[in-house]
Amino acid sequence: MFAFILRRVGGMIPVLFCVSLFAFGFVRLLPGDPARLLAGPDATQQDVQIVRESLGLDKPLWQQYVRYMTQTAQGELGKSARTDEPVATVIGERFMPTFWLTLVAMVWATILGVVIGVISGVRRGKWQDQTGMVLAVSGISFPAFWLGLLLIDLFSVRLHWLPTGGNETWRGYILPGFTLGVAVAAVMARFTRSAFVEVASEDYVRTARMKGLPERRVVWTHTLRNALIPVITMTGLQFGFLLGGSIVIETVFAWPGLGRLLVDSVNYRDYPVIQAEILLFSFEFVLINLGVDVLYAIVNPEIRLR
Amino acid sequence: MPNPEISRRGLLAGTAAIGATLAFADLAHAASPSGILTVGVQANLLTLDPANANDTLSQGAARLMLEGLLGFDKDMKQIPLLAEKYDANEAATEFTFHLRQGVKFHDGTPFDAEAVKFNFERIANPANRLKRQSLLAMLDHVEVIDAHTAKCVLKNPFGAFVPTIAHPSLQLLSPAAIKKYGDQIGRHPVGTGPFVFTSWTPDTLKVTANPDYWQKGLPHVKQVVLRSNPEAGARIAMLQSGEAQFVNPVPAPMVQLVANNPKTAMLEAPSIFANYMAMNVMKKPFDDVRVRQALNHAVDQKAFAKIVYSGHATPLLSAEPPHVTFYKEQPAYAYDPAKAKALLAEAGHKDGFSAVLWGGNSTETIQAMQFLQQQFAAVGVKVDVRPLEGGVLASKIWTVQKPEDSELEMYYGRWSSSTGDADWALRPLFATSAFPPHLYNVGYYSNPDVDKALQGGLETADPAKRQAFYEDAQARIYKDAAWVFLGIGNTLAGRDKKLSDAWVLPDGGLLIDAAKLG
Repeated sequence: MFAFILRRVGGMIPVLFCVSLFAFGFVRLLPGDPARLLAGPDATQQDVQIVRESLGLDKPLWQQYVRYMTQTAQGELGKSARTDEPVATVIGERFMPTFWLTLVAMVWATILGVVIGVISGVRRGKWQDQTGMVLAVSGISFPAFWLGLLLIDLFSVRLHWLPTGGNETWRGYILPGFTLGVAVAAVMARFTRSAFVEVASEDYVRTARMKGLPERRVVWTHTLRNALIPVITMTGLQFGFLLGGSIVIETVFAWPGLGRLLVDSVNYRDYPVIQAEILLFSFEFVLINLGVDVLYAIVNPEIRLR
Repeated sequence: MPNPEISRRGLLAGTAAIGATLAFADLAHAASPSGILTVGVQANLLTLDPANANDTLSQGAARLMLEGLLGFDKDMKQIPLLAEKYDANEAATEFTFHLRQGVKFHDGTPFDAEAVKFNFERIANPANRLKRQSLLAMLDHVEVIDAHTAKCVLKNPFGAFVPTIAHPSLQLLSPAAIKKYGDQIGRHPVGTGPFVFTSWTPDTLKVTANPDYWQKGLPHVKQVVLRSNPEAGARIAMLQSGEAQFVNPVPAPMVQLVANNPKTAMLEAPSIFANYMAMNVMKKPFDDVRVRQALNHAVDQKAFAKIVYSGHATPLLSAEPPHVTFYKEQPAYAYDPAKAKALLAEAGHKDGFSAVLWGGNSTETIQAMQFLQQQFAAVGVKVDVRPLEGGVLASKIWTVQKPEDSELEMYYGRWSSSTGDADWALRPLFATSAFPPHLYNVGYYSNPDVDKALQGGLETADPAKRQAFYEDAQARIYKDAAWVFLGIGNTLAGRDKKLSDAWVLPDGGLLIDAAKLG
């Protein structure tokens, strides 16, 4: 397995190279002159020219590309055009808040989602199943910003239990973590249920029952373990999406995360930051896919990694 | 002024007798700045180097730690800060500032004429690539007359130099700190102000009371925390839950929420943001002054205030708002659809015409454009509303190289003069030299008499003469109906009732250095 991981990590390099090329081209396809936008609403033409030169945007495109690729290859991401901070700092400061929030949301949502999914699967068609699925559909269709504002109104304004936003204390993680996880829990529940139902009709499950194994073991060991493969895939995907930051959650809960940073950077055409974020998101996805593959092998030893 | 309370700084500059009583009261209080003031703001700070900042939020935040030679009171009237007084030569090419003595930067560097020279020449030098270089582009050099006298020598006459010096982007940083931190000075601001920089993470700025501040008795609070909270509802929740004592801005539809809460109150004052609709006077039918006047008569300014600003706005009755210097109210274009129709018929548009209206894509802007669409429809003018994303707007309007290449017909926008001076309120929008891409005259309005008046106002530092020039310019622009004049939104902030002396300037910037809790 170790060799497999090593090979896959090596395989990332061409992928990331292609992504960096794409990112460079993509930001330049956005309409609007970044120097004009960055210089501010009442800048003179002279101010705009100063910004343009300081960003190197007055140079021909191929020179900009060579400079960008040389820098990127050396792990140097440049400076934010909007704040003059090193891009690594800009992203670094926001990555950890996003990462921890994602982790909090994923952990509770996955556990709850899987439990609800299994119960619904076992009690198919009964009231437990119907309640579970009503909850799941509500969770998916509830607009996150509305739920977030309701929670703030209840827990911060009326009860004074939790802060309205910000990540300064652990209490700050509760509301955004819950809100962010709701949709994930709902998706996980539905996914687990259908995978579970499918596996439950397999021969080996029937065999397990006929052997006289207790129902508890049939459900949690034989059925669930085999139903987990698509669930793991889904978890990985959701994890990857959430790591990109959620503009809605970050806006409602004043969270210093990557989603708001990306939107702000696009609005101001902050090329270096947009490029670096695209690169980071791709890197995360490649890494998560690798993690998912490894998990497959752990859950189901029949799958061999080559 | 709508607010009867007298600002803290206003008092300091006031009569000696009152000043002395107050100083006494302050001394009794001086021992203990106490409490934490948390302020909820909309956006993220970009930099704390004001010379590199083009947003009022960053400039207002810098104002906690830094000071200029001159500053603004809460009504944007100039007040002396690090300069006690100034004088200018007749030709408006030399301005001498007499500096306050015994002031030190937070790092111990003395504040003196050398520091002024270092700061201003740093900004003026294009090689330093600061976003606000143009503010001092006319500066030739600063002469150090003695330790406490600095003379700014300009390349050409610039009558608006004194208001420019009051601009928050010209607040002074410690020369030693600039040398130490280089281009990262914006992360490590060191000034002379009432608060000392403590920390700045993406969403949160913290500053702590400066024990050696030169204005005795200030500041009143121990710490100020600026937290950005982009969602208006959540920002107001910060105020309601007691997490924040001041929030800015409050969207007009949410004003009641703050006003009706027994613990909180609204702070409302006229801004200097002029909302206008420009028309491309190089294109038909807008080249005809009767058409432009007709459109002015077609708009009910009171309805504009009510619909777009939920009533929190006043009519715009000149090319600049009242809080800008040398304002002169003009005879209003009365709301009169019949007269509008008659004027259109006279201009040969009996059956009206169609045109495209461009603007930004914020909710408020779209609402305003739809309002105009309805008003103009009543006089037979069909308007196609096109909200555009910032980048698209920039490439279609601001960076157009030649007037004849502009596709713009009508444009809805707003403008505030960041110096609070008539020059920057009028010249960028109405001078012939301000056609894009140079500045913001997007309607390509051009009137030699207006150009002459605007230039005249720059060539003298005598306020009486400037007054005459700018009043002349305002009268001509209004009569030419260069814009459809719409309204001036109010600044809207929410405060905890325990908080006093925290203000929002008419330009939307924060002024909280003298704030008091309890």
